[in-house]
Amino acid sequence: MHINYWTELTRNNFGKIGLAMLCLVLFIALFAPFLARYDPGEPSHAIFMSPSFEHWLGTNDIGQDIWSRLLCGAKNSLLVALGVGVFTTLLSTVIGASAALVGGLYDRIVMRLIDALIVIPAFIVIILVAAYVLPNVWTLIFLISILTWQGGARLVRAQTLSLKERMSVYAARTFGANKRYIVIRHIIPNLSSILFAVFIHSATRGVFMEAGLAFLGIADISTVSWGLMMHHALRFYYLDVWKWWLIPTGLALSVTIMAFVFIGHALETAMDPRLRVMEQEDWQ
Amino acid sequence: MKLPEIGTYAIAFLIILALIFLLPRMMPGDPLTAICGEEVLVEMTPELKAELVHRFALDEPLWSQFFVYLTGIMHGDFGYSYYYNAPVLEIILEALPWTLLLVGTSLVLSTVLSIIIGIESGWRRGKVSDKFLLTTTMILNGFPDFFIGIILLLLFAVYLGCLPLQGAKTPYSDLSGINSMLDIAQHLVLPLIALTLAQLPGSYLLMRNTMITTLKEAFVRTAKAKGLSEVAVRYKHAGRNALLPIVTTTGVRVGIIFTGALFIEIIFSYPGVGLLSYNALLMRDYPILQGVFFIVAVFVILANFVVDLLYTKIDPRIGVDNTEYAH
Repeated sequence: MHINYWTELTRNNFGKIGLAMLCLVLFIALFAPFLARYDPGEPSHAIFMSPSFEHWLGTNDIGQDIWSRLLCGAKNSLLVALGVGVFTTLLSTVIGASAALVGGLYDRIVMRLIDALIVIPAFIVIILVAAYVLPNVWTLIFLISILTWQGGARLVRAQTLSLKERMSVYAARTFGANKRYIVIRHIIPNLSSILFAVFIHSATRGVFMEAGLAFLGIADISTVSWGLMMHHALRFYYLDVWKWWLIPTGLALSVTIMAFVFIGHALETAMDPRLRVMEQEDWQ
Repeated sequence: MKLPEIGTYAIAFLIILALIFLLPRMMPGDPLTAICGEEVLVEMTPELKAELVHRFALDEPLWSQFFVYLTGIMHGDFGYSYYYNAPVLEIILEALPWTLLLVGTSLVLSTVLSIIIGIESGWRRGKVSDKFLLTTTMILNGFPDFFIGIILLLLFAVYLGCLPLQGAKTPYSDLSGINSMLDIAQHLVLPLIALTLAQLPGSYLLMRNTMITTLKEAFVRTAKAKGLSEVAVRYKHAGRNALLPIVTTTGVRVGIIFTGALFIEIIFSYPGVGLLSYNALLMRDYPILQGVFFIVAVFVILANFVVDLLYTKIDPRIGVDNTEYAH
């Protein structure tokens, strides 16, 4: 079964909308410095301003322009998404694939560790560790990845195990291919779809967890983070400012998470043969 | 249950134990503040310091510190909060019932709802109602728990004033019996809805996917051919067989709901362990933080264990791996 994932993704409605949303957020993240009209970190005397032509979404409690901060926050969220996505996928691949390829005691130890890590509530542990470490963006990416690679590693391991038994691998062996050749030519290319799915899921988790931690107040104060903005905004929810401070920020965050969730769902539907829509299935 | 599977839970428990023991001791700076919280500095005297160093065996090697720490936990001693001026366990036990109430009701509600919606949606795959349900849940899936809570809070604070927004019961009201229970139920509504809405998408999607797969099996066709009513086929035959994954993921879902409750409790000032740990976070009251997270983690590990144990009893075909779905 060979599937062109890009075609599948753009054929699925969720995939299309997800990609469009992600492009929008990416565009904002890349061009925020040109789109923003104020320095997002610059306080001013104009506090709690209502939306106006000067401040499209008003100003916050220390007079910062909310629209500029909203644009700037996209960069932070996407950076965490990318960082956690790449790093987690890397960890999952190295650990999962090596367990499947090496086998034996090493495989048993890794599997046992994965099983144990899966029953531990990862986010709770991350919050506790972060409360002590008070991470910046990079330590946060490291922290989230190091505690959430287990699910991906299990998938990669299962997939590698089945790839190992493929006819093509046996064929390669018969003409004397060494292990390195088999891994590079046969295992890794065939893992790509699983890795893409692991990447998307990790990225989703990254955005969600960063926002959650920042919402709890665990964040580098110098970064412009949507979660942190909501953390501050919630304290003034009884004022009218929630209309242009709390809600737009939450929506921006939700759109970003939604983009990843939609893409992930489209991928899952494309990859699971049981969920793919087939003609003969409408027999009922 | 085989012995190695118990080993998995023992390892998970040890990881949690080691983490909570090592974290404060590995931090740069004075381990005493990291263990006792920053509030301890206010009352710090040379005598108290000497006593605390002695109590946690901080002047001794790491392994004997661990031994002291372990004996403490075995005796239910989770430390002392200098912020509340009370033993940690006492404070946590006061808050824990509220969290268990919230998490328990939300677990039941979200499971039942997602089973029903999942069955109906999977049955109608591709029809308008299925597409509507799927799209709605997928959009909901993008909203973080705390934003769902915030929207509900604002909605009810600003437009609909009919439900209490804060706390778990009306303070100083002296209600008793049925009135007190009604009061508690009223305060539970909003946090419960928020938490359940946040949990729904994951388990609904799992249920819908399993339902779709199950509907393709031969026994469903047989049931239809026998002339059974649609409802019987949908619920008794297909639905019941599609239940397994949602049962096996209960343990993992308990973990996710606890995490969600942490955020929801903050938004609605619900006096459970989530709000407790949030305040501890703001006050740098580390003993409370460690205690709450230890108890929640152990609770989640136990829930996984129990589900595993029950699952072995319920279904002889073990080895089906569905835990991935819940993440």
